[in-house]
Amino acid sequence: MKVSLKWLNQYVETPSDLKEFCDRLDLTGTGVEGVEKLGAAYDKVVTGQIVSKEKHPDSDHMWVTRVNVGQQNVDENGNPEPLQIVCGAQNFNEGDHVVVAMIGAVLPGNFKIKKSKLRGIASMGMNCSARELGMGNDHEGIMILPEDAPIGMPFADYAQLGDTVLDLEITPNRPDCLSMVGMAREVGAMYGKDYASPLKAMVEKLELDSSATPVDEEVKITIEDPTRCPRYTARVIKGVKIGPSPDWMVERLAAIGQRSINNIVDVTNYILFLFGQPLHAFDLNKIKNDEGVAHIVVRAAQEGETLTTLDGEERTLTSDMTVISTPEAGAIALAGVMGGLDSEVTEETTDILIEAATFEAGRTSRTSRNLGLISESSMRYERGVDDHDIDARSAAAVALMVEVAGGTVSAASSNDAGIVDEYPLPTAAPDLQFRIPRFCGMMGADIPRDFIVDSLTRLGCQVSETDDADVLRVVSPTYRPDLEREIDLYEEVLRLYGMDRIESTLPGGRGRIGTRSALEHLRDKINATMQSCGLNETMTYSFAETDELEKLRMNTEDMADAVELINPMNAEQAVMRRSIIPGLLRSVAYNQSHGVANIQLYELGNVFFAHEGKQKPKEKEKLAGVMAGAMTAPAWNNAPAGFDFFDGKGVIESLVRELALPKVRFKVADPAQYSHLQPGRAAEVYSGGSLLGWVGEIHPLAVNAYDAEAPVVAFELDVEVLGKACRPARDYVDVPTYPAVSIDVAFVVDEEVTHEMLMQRMQSAGGKLLESAHLFDVYRDEERLGAGKKSMAYALSYRAADRTLTSEEVDKQHERLVKKVCAATGAEIRG
Amino acid sequence: MSVVEEIQALRTETMDAIAGAADSDALNNIRIKVVGKSGTLTAYLRSMGQIPADQRAEVGKTVNAARNEIEEALESKKAELKTAELEASMEAGAVDITLPGRVQQMGTRHLITRITEEVAEIFLGIGYSVAHGPEVETDFYNFEALNAPADHPSRSMQDTFYVVDRSGGHRAVKGESDVLLRTQTSGVQVHVMEEQKPPIYIIAPGKVYRRDVADPSHLPQFNQIEGLVVDKGITFGDLKGTLEYFCKEMFGPDRKTRFRAHYFPFTEPSAEVDVSCGICHGEGCRFCKGTGWLEILGCGMVDPNVLVACGIDPEEYSGFAFGVGVERVACLKYNVPDLRMLLEGDMRFLRQF
Repeated sequence: MKVSLKWLNQYVETPSDLKEFCDRLDLTGTGVEGVEKLGAAYDKVVTGQIVSKEKHPDSDHMWVTRVNVGQQNVDENGNPEPLQIVCGAQNFNEGDHVVVAMIGAVLPGNFKIKKSKLRGIASMGMNCSARELGMGNDHEGIMILPEDAPIGMPFADYAQLGDTVLDLEITPNRPDCLSMVGMAREVGAMYGKDYASPLKAMVEKLELDSSATPVDEEVKITIEDPTRCPRYTARVIKGVKIGPSPDWMVERLAAIGQRSINNIVDVTNYILFLFGQPLHAFDLNKIKNDEGVAHIVVRAAQEGETLTTLDGEERTLTSDMTVISTPEAGAIALAGVMGGLDSEVTEETTDILIEAATFEAGRTSRTSRNLGLISESSMRYERGVDDHDIDARSAAAVALMVEVAGGTVSAASSNDAGIVDEYPLPTAAPDLQFRIPRFCGMMGADIPRDFIVDSLTRLGCQVSETDDADVLRVVSPTYRPDLEREIDLYEEVLRLYGMDRIESTLPGGRGRIGTRSALEHLRDKINATMQSCGLNETMTYSFAETDELEKLRMNTEDMADAVELINPMNAEQAVMRRSIIPGLLRSVAYNQSHGVANIQLYELGNVFFAHEGKQKPKEKEKLAGVMAGAMTAPAWNNAPAGFDFFDGKGVIESLVRELALPKVRFKVADPAQYSHLQPGRAAEVYSGGSLLGWVGEIHPLAVNAYDAEAPVVAFELDVEVLGKACRPARDYVDVPTYPAVSIDVAFVVDEEVTHEMLMQRMQSAGGKLLESAHLFDVYRDEERLGAGKKSMAYALSYRAADRTLTSEEVDKQHERLVKKVCAATGAEIRG
Repeated sequence: MSVVEEIQALRTETMDAIAGAADSDALNNIRIKVVGKSGTLTAYLRSMGQIPADQRAEVGKTVNAARNEIEEALESKKAELKTAELEASMEAGAVDITLPGRVQQMGTRHLITRITEEVAEIFLGIGYSVAHGPEVETDFYNFEALNAPADHPSRSMQDTFYVVDRSGGHRAVKGESDVLLRTQTSGVQVHVMEEQKPPIYIIAPGKVYRRDVADPSHLPQFNQIEGLVVDKGITFGDLKGTLEYFCKEMFGPDRKTRFRAHYFPFTEPSAEVDVSCGICHGEGCRFCKGTGWLEILGCGMVDPNVLVACGIDPEEYSGFAFGVGVERVACLKYNVPDLRMLLEGDMRFLRQF
């Protein structure tokens, strides 16, 4: 909310040090988001006082004066001495208060004040005439200020020429601060100063016309549901003349960014910003019935009822919304949000009905959100407009309208206030206790009782003693709907006392132990493994395109639905992701298009699945990675191979080792089920019976669909399954003490025979003595081996834990192994 | 020439040859030629029988003396040559040590998780544990239980992503739902308090979502770290002390903090915390928009309504909560100029950390 300091200063004295004021506002909970200076001219023009006046030694008409400008005093050498100013005017004496343009000032007409010498005497500025200040034509002499004028004050402040407008962040709990008077009260509480509301004086100006038709005969009010409208008042002004507003009101409204419309509309705005009371002006003649009575009915809108609002839009209403209506015209305004076009005040309007009311906060909020209509009124109603004193604020409004637009306010027959006032549901002021020791205990500071009482009182609370000296009774004001509990009062006192004054301590709680969960330890291991495998952690959006898995060619048949957003930012982020891979592929494409060829990325993050009938989706944590290009650029001593399937598999094998996953198997992934992977370069990863996920090269067409370049190796594993499968503790195994016997063997086999098949055969035939079989070469040569054949060379290691093996023992075992493997796989031994 | 003289001559000749041997091979050849099985000196020993008996003793003595001398010389020359050869081979093996080493590429951690872990470690050190909660939440956990019931104006502080409610629920306002992407990690507070009795000392890092258009200083998806303490006798001073400690650990011991009163529905009293600008040290500069301060987190004493909603008696227990924006810390600590870089996966960015 914008606050003009000139306006605010009418009701409370604000500090002259703007920075100090802004800091105090910030620290007490009113954030200063911007400071705008209006009329920034007169920079470096200050008030001063002539200390001495001597004849210029080389001139018969000039004077050498010394002028005290307070804090700004400075002589030629930088000492804080009164300014030496050479002056040609004759109309002043020692002791006169004057206006000084100091060095650096720019006066109207782009007249720049510089340091100068006049006939050999240095002059540090100029004593100004009214004309030089652009304030009239008086050029007979310099401007002489009254004797009580302060010294060293910026002239703009002294003459109240400029204005400073603060843009304040009013938090949603403080509807009371959405007005000048409310801010004046707040500033008063901030500085322990009194503030003055203009309300009483404005109300006193109200004069009623008892010759007119009494307002309570011309206007009837029916409130159908008091919770929707706890109070509704109406007043009538007759014979207004719609026209421009007076300058002072235009200036006030302009300062806070409000354009002047006409005198009546401007008063409704002025009162809204002054007291926080939204008003609405109806053209009375447009809402009267044939009998000349305006019968205002505040009721729920009918489902589907329409109303054309002031902005010209036809709105279709729901029964959740509240309308102001007449039996004849139907809805004439949307309660608390916006008036109707048909009953609008126009230039021809002469008689007006002024509505001042309060409406249910939550309903106003829903209505404005449902219609996308946020107005200054709705913003205040949804935070809460005080139902107390509405009659006074309405009286102030009509009195001001008469002042600026003429006309007379109709008296009433049933009261002497000239009002029709339906008030079925007054708000009760909360009656609270304030336990001082509890407060001090919870804040961790001894905040004096006097301070507590004074702060709460200045905020508008009625504070009184109780039988218990430690407990105060506090009745909070109805304009503070946020002060409904004892804790709310604590906050008020603390923020005014100053949080910076509270001594910092650390909690002394016993039995507090910081621990990390098994899941975090798992994540640590995963992260460490990925890093040591050369992968770089990244983060991508959790959002996804609706069809991005189709684009990836991923089989979604057995997959649960995507979680749909009701209000996505854009089509690319319409649902929540079901796989991390599309996001990573986009990053691959991003890198490739920016000239980065070697990409190794991984992400640990959630994917989301919706289920019919279930309110909340299922979130699964996944580990996904992509590798494209090579691990590093070729170096003088290293030529890294391009990534392929086995790089991805290697990462997973490292993870298997680090997490001690048992019984891990890589199974050929069914191309129909894993349609996003290149057939023949894709595997499912199992630990025992649990499917951990998959690894493979992304299908070249899928890579293309993401504008990336193949090959891209990828994997995606389920973290929860990893966590269940992993073994946090490992068993100790004796380090071998007896020597091993190593024998190399090369099997020539058909292409169909896999490494896994050979390993299984060797392990079963090698018995206890076969310690390990390490594949060290795969070799294909059509001429030497034959078509469709390959040679698989293994280094076998035989060892017994309890003795040195004899060569007979090893030979026997090895022969047996070779025979069995050959018989089972059709292998031949390469010599 | 007598035999003795011959031997003396051979000795002298051999000693000269040894001294002049260029390498181990030449030395070995001398050894074989002179003292080997069929070496010239050995030959004298073998032909001893043919030496007249009266000369035998002298010849034998001379041969042995020569042999010993030669073998000694061979040994010492061998050692000398070995040293020289090692020196030579090392000299030949010298490399340009400014050539790059053989590096295994180590992967990197993302800046956000790095900071998150740094924060977690600070709080682990003062006895906090880590908790987690779901990213898709119900209205109850994100707002209602946090003292921001439906139509509460504080909800307008955060623009929420709503999710289609598959249980068939409907809301009073079009386009809203009881299921949403959490706008704050504060919902984890409620989960923790429902499951755990005080004393509670936890932090809860995680992704949150708000409807902001992605630009250099906003992302629709970002990360927060929530903190929650509920115990007997917790004071606002404890909140201050804890967060001051955190800020000094995170940003350096010379950084100051200030607490500005603010409003959050789930804490009361509430505050925002600023840390003094690290660039101008509080003088005011462009980085801190002239204020000398940088906003870093929101905090407050846990609102009694929240405690009650979680079954904790606010007369017996009190607590504080805080929320740190991780991206905010990243900006302040690393001057990341554009938050969108955090989600692009640009290798050139990721590999900086």
